[in-house]
Amino acid sequence: MRALPAEQVLSTPFSGRPTKNIRPPSFEPWRLWSAGRELLRYRDLVVTLSLHRLSVRYKQSVLGWAWALVQPLALMLIYTIIFSVVTKMPDEGVPYAVFVYAALLPWTYFATIMTNSATCLVTHSQLVTKVYFPREILPLTYVVAAFVDFLVGAIVLAGMLVYYHLSLTLYVWYLIPIMAVLSAFGLALALFLSVLQVRMRDIGLAMPLVMQIWMFATPVVYPLSAVPARLRFYYDLNPLAGTIESFRRVLLQSKPPEYSSFIEASVIAFVLLPLAYLFFKYREASMADYI
Amino acid sequence: MSSLRLDHVSKRYLIRQAHVGPAPQGLVARVRQRFAPAHVFWALRDVSFEVARGEALGIIGPNGAGKSTLLKLLAGITAPTSGEISISGKLSALLEVGSGFHPELSGVENIYLSGTILGMQRKEIAAKLDAIIDFAGVRAFVDVPVKRYSSGMVVRLGFSVAAHLDPDILLLDEVLAVGDAAFQKKCIDRVLELKRRSTVVFISHDLAAVQQLCDRVIVMNQGEMIYDGATAGAMAAYSALARFRSSPPRTAQSLAKTAEVVSLEFLDGVGEPVHIVKTGDALRIRIEYKARIAVADASFNVFFYGADGALYCQFTTWLSGETAHLAPGNGIVEFSCEELGLQPGTYLIDTTIEQHGNNLDWQSRCSTIQVNAGKPVKGLFYHPHTWRETSASSILSEENVTVDPGNKV
Repeated sequence: MRALPAEQVLSTPFSGRPTKNIRPPSFEPWRLWSAGRELLRYRDLVVTLSLHRLSVRYKQSVLGWAWALVQPLALMLIYTIIFSVVTKMPDEGVPYAVFVYAALLPWTYFATIMTNSATCLVTHSQLVTKVYFPREILPLTYVVAAFVDFLVGAIVLAGMLVYYHLSLTLYVWYLIPIMAVLSAFGLALALFLSVLQVRMRDIGLAMPLVMQIWMFATPVVYPLSAVPARLRFYYDLNPLAGTIESFRRVLLQSKPPEYSSFIEASVIAFVLLPLAYLFFKYREASMADYI
Repeated sequence: MSSLRLDHVSKRYLIRQAHVGPAPQGLVARVRQRFAPAHVFWALRDVSFEVARGEALGIIGPNGAGKSTLLKLLAGITAPTSGEISISGKLSALLEVGSGFHPELSGVENIYLSGTILGMQRKEIAAKLDAIIDFAGVRAFVDVPVKRYSSGMVVRLGFSVAAHLDPDILLLDEVLAVGDAAFQKKCIDRVLELKRRSTVVFISHDLAAVQQLCDRVIVMNQGEMIYDGATAGAMAAYSALARFRSSPPRTAQSLAKTAEVVSLEFLDGVGEPVHIVKTGDALRIRIEYKARIAVADASFNVFFYGADGALYCQFTTWLSGETAHLAPGNGIVEFSCEELGLQPGTYLIDTTIEQHGNNLDWQSRCSTIQVNAGKPVKGLFYHPHTWRETSASSILSEENVTVDPGNKV
C-alpha cells in the first residue's frame, strides 16, 4: 500500500483546471456563493428539466394544457356559488368571481409548488442515488413549472378583467415584486420541506391537509379587511396574507399594496430563502444515504 | 500531476437495527425506536491514494469491500465522514446507464434530459446529437417515446449519451456489460479511446476486465486498501484474499457438523497451486475435509459462480451415483479436469459436503479463481474437441451408403 506523506498532499500543484473538493458536510455560510455559482453552471439542466416537467405532465391526456386551468377555474366556480349565491361575502365592490379568482391564481401557484416539490427528492431517488447534480434543481424546476401554469391561468384572469370592464392602473407593476416575494417564499419552503421529507415521509403525507388549512388562513375567499383588527398581528405572520391580498389590491382595486403586511412578508421570504438554501446544501451530502 | 486525490477518506454509515418481530406498538415506541442508538458500520477506513493525469486505475475487491461507497464518494453523490477528496477537472461517472430517462419522452428529448443531468450543456449536446444517435444505432426511432423502445435500445442509448461526455476523469462501473456482444465491443473501444485523453477509474470485481483496461490496481477489502500497484501483483493479492476462508471462530453449530471442509486449493496440471488458469488448461481441485464420525454415502461438490452471480458449472463426486465413505479424521478429495471449459472471468467458489440430499457443510464463496484467455473460442463455454481432415471422396462414399437402397432394412 502506497501511503501519501502529508507534505506531498499539501504541495502537489494542480493544473489550471477547476478543482473540486469534497469534504465532510459542515454548516458554512460562505458556501452559498460557490453553491450559487455551481447552480449557474447547471442552468441548462434547470431549463431542460423544467421543459420536461411541462411536456411530460400532459402527455397522453385529452385536455392537455387545459388542465393548468381546471383547478383554479373549478375552485373559482365553487367559491363563487357558495360565497355569492348561497351566502354573501364582502367582495370590495368587484364581482365575486373575479375577486376570488385574482387570489386563487397566486394561491394555486404557491400550493402547486408546495405539493409537488415537498416530495420531489424522494420521487427522484433513482437520480439522487445515481448521479450528482446540484439537488436544489429538482425543487427549483417545480417552481418554474408552476410559474408557467400561473401564466396560463393569468390569461383567463386578463379575459375576466376585460369582460367585467375593470381597468388596470400603474399599480399593476407591483405584481412583479409581489410574485418575486411569493416565489422566494415558495422556493424557501420547497427547499426546506423536500430535504425534511427525505428522512420524514410525514411531510408529504401532511401536505394536502396543511395546504387546505393554510388557504383558509389566507385572504383568498375573503378580503383582508374582514380580519378583526386585534388578530391582524398574528394573521400577518403568514407571509401569504400580505402577498395574496396585495396581488388582488393592485390588480382589482387600483390601490398600492397593503404596505405593512407586504413588507413583513418580503422580509420573511428573503431571510428564509438563504437560510433554507444553506440548510439544503448542508443536508445535500447525506441525502443519498437516507433516501 | 494528480487529477484525483483522496486524503485519509473514511465513510461511516449508521444502521438502525431492523426491527425483529412485530412492529413496535404505539407512537412513543415508534419515536423511541427512531432515536435508538445505531449500529456503526465503516464502509471505508482511512483510504488515501492519488491518480495521475492520464492514468487508468482499477479498483477491485469482493462484495462489501467498499467499492460502491468509493464510487459514490468520487461521483459526489455522498460526502465522506472524514478526510478530503480533490478532483481536478471535469469528472463524469458512468454508474447507471439511462440516468433520468423518461419513458414518455422521445429519444431526442431523452438525450437532452440525460445529457444535461450528466452535466453537459444543451449546445454541446446539439453538436454531438448525431454522433450519439448513430453510436446507439437508434436513428429510425429518435422521435418515438422511449417507452416503445426495446430494453436493449434503451441501454444502448443510455450508454451512448454517457460515452460522449468528454470528461477529464471518467468513472466507470460495471456498465461495460451492456447490450449484445457487438455493442459491448463498441463500448470497450470507446472507453479505450477515452482513455487516451482522460484519467480513468474503473471499479469492478471482474479481474479480466480490469486487466484489459488498467495499468494500476487497488485492491480493497472490508473498507481498507490492501494493495496498490501493478496489475499482476493485484491478481495475487485479490486471490490470496479470497483463498479459503473457513469461518472461524468455531461456533457450536460448526462443532455439530459431522463433516466439514477444511481447505480448498486449485492446482495446475503438474500439481502446483494456482489462482489464475487459462481456458482449456488442466485444473485440479483439492479439498481437505474433516469428519468427526464415520460418514457413509457422502458426496462433494464445487460450484463456480460468475461475477454476475449465475452458477456456471459444478464439479461433483455424485457423477453416476457413486459415493464416498468418510472415516473419522482428516482426508482429501481431489477433482481433476483435463480441459477447463470456463471462459475468461472471475469465478466465486462454493463447496459442499452432502449426504442423502442434505448439506453437512456448505462453504459459501470460500475461494475465487481467475480464468484468463487461453483457447481462443467464442461462445458461452469452451467444449473440448478434436478434429481431423477427411477427403471429399470419403464423404461421397458415406452419402452413397445412405442412399443405397440395398442398405434399407
